[in-house]
Amino acid sequence: MSSEARTLTLQSCRHCGAGAPAQVHFCPQCDRILTLARHGDYFSFFGLPRKLTIDLADLEQRFRALSRQFHPDYFYNASTPERLASLERSSYLNDAFRVLEQPLDRAEYLLKVEGLPGVGRHQDAKELPAGVLEEVFALNEELDDIRAAREAGATPDQLMARLDAARRPVEERAARQEAQLEALFSRWDRQVDEESPPDVRRATLESLRGLIQERSYIANLIAAVNRERGKS
Amino acid sequence: MSYSEKVIDHYNNPRNVGSLAKDDTAVGTGLVGAPECGDVMKLQVRVNPETGVIDDAKFKTFGCGSAIASSSLATEWLKGKTLEQALEIKNVDIVQELSLPPVKIHCSVLAEDAIKAAIADYKRKQQDGQ
Repeated sequence: MSSEARTLTLQSCRHCGAGAPAQVHFCPQCDRILTLARHGDYFSFFGLPRKLTIDLADLEQRFRALSRQFHPDYFYNASTPERLASLERSSYLNDAFRVLEQPLDRAEYLLKVEGLPGVGRHQDAKELPAGVLEEVFALNEELDDIRAAREAGATPDQLMARLDAARRPVEERAARQEAQLEALFSRWDRQVDEESPPDVRRATLESLRGLIQERSYIANLIAAVNRERGKS
Repeated sequence: MSYSEKVIDHYNNPRNVGSLAKDDTAVGTGLVGAPECGDVMKLQVRVNPETGVIDDAKFKTFGCGSAIASSSLATEWLKGKTLEQALEIKNVDIVQELSLPPVKIHCSVLAEDAIKAAIADYKRKQQDGQ
């Protein structure tokens, strides 16, 4: 199903029964706030296409405008369904904003709504680019050695030198991953614009999922190295 | 959440920590990871070429207590088993033995994956050697 077809999903107004597109928040006929439909997603909620590059200033503007429209204070005297709808839409809006404003959360969310969940599933070393798990493992071993050296009385200078040496290749990998992530974001957005075939788009999402998984190991490692630096 | 006594025992006295020669044709190495927590687990088996029985198993795991205990237990169970028997070890057996809580079940899955990966590596080496 294309994203166009999805945005056409109808919701209906509980008050007057009029139909409305999924990305609309107020009934086109009676203007009342609509009960939050179960369809739709964070992107369409903001009236945005399912693209990975988002103008944050624009997103924030949309967020503020919608926050005002949904604000429960304005529904103080409204009917119970409308008060509920204002609460639901406000809370959904906050969740949606928190996810979409962070590029990685946004990407993971896209994977989920596009039917590729499982960023957290286990992997064999072979599913990751050559050497990633090996590198992670080797660096963990080095960190163990550094801890042992500290207990054996190594000087802070010696420990720092080893930690810096250990950190360098990981940070280089992290930088490469950032560049790859950016490239995949652009590729996906281009494929959405060009309405590329589903299998082509899916391949991009699969690469994205792999990269996000790879990245989480590296982020954990950098955090571990930095913790050790704090102790040295 | 508190760890069960068996987890604590394996964590404090892990069995079979270490490495086997990775390039030995009788050794299979499995290296697996869990992206959500960053755990990495290396598990190795050495197979007796005459009997086809695993005569040694080693592991090294960087991760939480449950991941360490799961892999430690796995290496204990692997020794003396044929490859077919080894592949019958399921994560639920590990969960039961260690009384792992639901949030730690993925650690046992990681151990099962590591066993499978090690055996697959061993089998690949045998095919390549022929």
